[in-house]
Amino acid sequence: MLDRVLSRKRLLELVDELAHARRIVGPVKQNDHYFYEPVDRADRLDLDFSYCVYGPKAFLLPPTQTLFRFKQHAGTFETTPEHNDEPLGIIGVHPCDVNAIRLLDHAFANTHPDEHYLTRRRQTFIVGIDCPGPCTEGVFCGDMHGNEATTGFDVMCYPLSRDDTGGDVRYGVVFGTDAGREFILYAQAGDPPSVEDERAFERYQIEKQAAFPQQIPYGVDTLPDLLERSYDSLLWQATARRCYSCGSCNLSCPTCYCFNMFDEQELALGTGERKREWDGCQLRSFAEVAGGHNFREAPASRLRHRIYRKAKWVKEREGIAGCVGCARCDRACTAKISSVEIYNQLAEER
Amino acid sequence: MPLIERTSMYRGDSLYEPRPAEITAVEKLTADENLYTIRLDGGGPLGHDPGQFVQVSLVGIGECPISICSSPTRLEHFQLCIRRAGEVTEHIHRLDAGDTVGIRGPLGHGFQVHELHGKDVLIVAGGLGIAPVRSLIQYILDERSRFGAFHLLYGARSPAEMLFQTDVIRWRENKDVNFHTTVDRPDEQWRGHTGVVTTLFQELPKLDPHETMAIIVGPPVMFKFVVLEVLGRRIPQKNVYCSLERRMKCGVGKCGHCQANNVYVCLEGPVFRYGELKALREAIG
Amino acid sequence: MRPRIAIFSLTSCEGCSLAILELEDQLLSILDAVEIVNFREGMTERSWDIDIGFVDGAVSTPEDKREVEHFRECCTKLVAIGACACLGGLNTLKNYQDEDEYRAYVYGDCAKYFPTTPAQPISAVVNVDHELPGCPMVKEEFLKFVTFALAGRTFKLPEDPVCVECKKKGILCLYEKGIICLGPITRGGCNAICPSYGAKCEGCRGIVAEDALKAAGVNLREQYDVDLADVLADVRMFGAYQEKTLP
Repeated sequence: MLDRVLSRKRLLELVDELAHARRIVGPVKQNDHYFYEPVDRADRLDLDFSYCVYGPKAFLLPPTQTLFRFKQHAGTFETTPEHNDEPLGIIGVHPCDVNAIRLLDHAFANTHPDEHYLTRRRQTFIVGIDCPGPCTEGVFCGDMHGNEATTGFDVMCYPLSRDDTGGDVRYGVVFGTDAGREFILYAQAGDPPSVEDERAFERYQIEKQAAFPQQIPYGVDTLPDLLERSYDSLLWQATARRCYSCGSCNLSCPTCYCFNMFDEQELALGTGERKREWDGCQLRSFAEVAGGHNFREAPASRLRHRIYRKAKWVKEREGIAGCVGCARCDRACTAKISSVEIYNQLAEER
Repeated sequence: MPLIERTSMYRGDSLYEPRPAEITAVEKLTADENLYTIRLDGGGPLGHDPGQFVQVSLVGIGECPISICSSPTRLEHFQLCIRRAGEVTEHIHRLDAGDTVGIRGPLGHGFQVHELHGKDVLIVAGGLGIAPVRSLIQYILDERSRFGAFHLLYGARSPAEMLFQTDVIRWRENKDVNFHTTVDRPDEQWRGHTGVVTTLFQELPKLDPHETMAIIVGPPVMFKFVVLEVLGRRIPQKNVYCSLERRMKCGVGKCGHCQANNVYVCLEGPVFRYGELKALREAIG
Repeated sequence: MRPRIAIFSLTSCEGCSLAILELEDQLLSILDAVEIVNFREGMTERSWDIDIGFVDGAVSTPEDKREVEHFRECCTKLVAIGACACLGGLNTLKNYQDEDEYRAYVYGDCAKYFPTTPAQPISAVVNVDHELPGCPMVKEEFLKFVTFALAGRTFKLPEDPVCVECKKKGILCLYEKGIICLGPITRGGCNAICPSYGAKCEGCRGIVAEDALKAAGVNLREQYDVDLADVLADVRMFGAYQEKTLP
């Protein structure tokens, strides 16, 4: 069920309104590729983007982030936590990235809520743009159900049609939150959906179903079992001999959220910051303890760890899939290690 | 959205901010291990379970996870046995009584002492494993009437590496505990038992397998052999506990460093039941 | 007591020494924290009582060898800075050429007055406590090193490859443009400066790990249609001295 229909032109006007109160980030074309970048005007956004090289994660969980500042004096110390509550609008988020953000939300909110992430997240307004088909070759979001987002956005825009005049797009809009509803309705933007619009939306959904090719023939639900049985497969070693342990798969992944913590001091000592930075389980020292023992010394054990997280463990722990099928890991891998290929090879072993 | 529903649970401060605490005493245990007695600024108990850990901070240097080695029944302070192993611990070893460290915690899942109440307890500790389990030993001795028979087996590599020697002397004389020690490599003064810790099992009386809780803490290589002894005495797997070591950074189940298979050791551990552990291929290897 | 610092140069462009002077905004706080007692690029006085000596340049002449042995004696801690001092750097390219030929090319008729040896990193001649590699040295890393030394901390080089920094900066991977970049096998810490400007990584900070190099051999043979000899030539540019470890 749609909540509203809206032209792209009108959507961009609303984004310009939003820009008075929020920093706006969205897909911008650079040469042949799209990146999420801050923009000052909505017309710099290209909402027809295929895919962004990296997801918008860096705006919610920055590559390096100060957790607190410290100051030593009189033999003790004081700390001041740092939270960024600058209002942010991320415009043009595909369902894969919406689902990835949902996982981050869950991971940082559960058990011990992480205010550094959550403060930013609560200040973030997300406008999703749905994908009628795969954005590029090699994605397996259809298999991972990453291509459908039902929550995690403020509004989701479904590109129902292009009208004949000026190539404008007519979006069917679904509200995800009250803030999303207000964003559209307060401005009285667009129209209530007509019966025609609802039919167009049904057609859109049916055509979308057919548009995503199945890449994992046995289906994503079989992966946890498949992996369970494949712990000792030689494939891990056979594949990992190509692995550079460069962490590119982790660091380009929109659902990876592991981090490292470190201290930075001023030259004059006594003051500084404790920070966290993106880390990755494929990097050599990830599971190394003081004294030098490494719990995952072999590249094969690290590769297996990542694949298990993506297709089994995160889902088991968090109830949300650890992989959205965006294939950024596969594209980032200069050794051409492909998770889809691994799933299919493991399935063949059985 | 859970993000909004859970708002009431959020703390205004940071999960990662340490509290200042004062080192009130430093005792040298071995060449590489010191025992630090620590008091939180403003006083008050740490409020931990035996087997839990804290993150110890030196701001400007970093943080490292350390098991709490004193019982929560000792209210006025807590103790940490710190081995010089990495950069942070190296710097901690330069500190004296009166100096300040940062403390985050207690963290992790420790021993659930109520599960042990009314039972016989067998503790087997090897090497630095005595440190986390000392909190439980102290607890049992402080609350002795709540427990049945109490057996404690402790193996160290050499007499010089035996930790808590003052305690060891006291435990030997204490009628409340059936205590035995061994070393792998004796020196000339050593008059006690020689051999790996499993050789101490011959000192144990007949155990009542359904009334005995077994706790095993030590290096992974020891763990397997002790499990064989314990299971061999028909103690059910659900009554066997152990504590794991991992690289921990955040201590709150986010950063991923301590993950062993699908378990975050800092969150679900470091204390596990053997039944939970044996499925974790990475845990004991 | 402020630590007494010296900065020395062997065969090199001395760009790494100059990089220290380029830390303009921090220079005054550095001088507050340390005492520079010997620095040809920056001062006239000379002292030989030194806590930390930084050396750029490779050992490429008998004179270099004598000098670096003297530095070692005078410095409590000796730190190699830059690709030349850490890996031999560009100088090692001569190790692959005919000696008479390159000497005649460089010095013409006067070649006999300029004795030379195969170029080596200084660690091949004396014991080195730390290395701050790169061409030039990363000046922020130098600053970090000094801060660590002041705090009594042990400085460790980053153990992750350049790719990590490309990803953190959100840079398009050069492999997506069909360029063979040495990022996956090269020690990071340079903030991916070359890929940030669209240039491939040339490995000036040295090879990050043995197994990465092995993987490179496998990948370039099996996954890419490139001549391994070309890649080796790239690796050789800054790090010919590492050659014994190449696939």
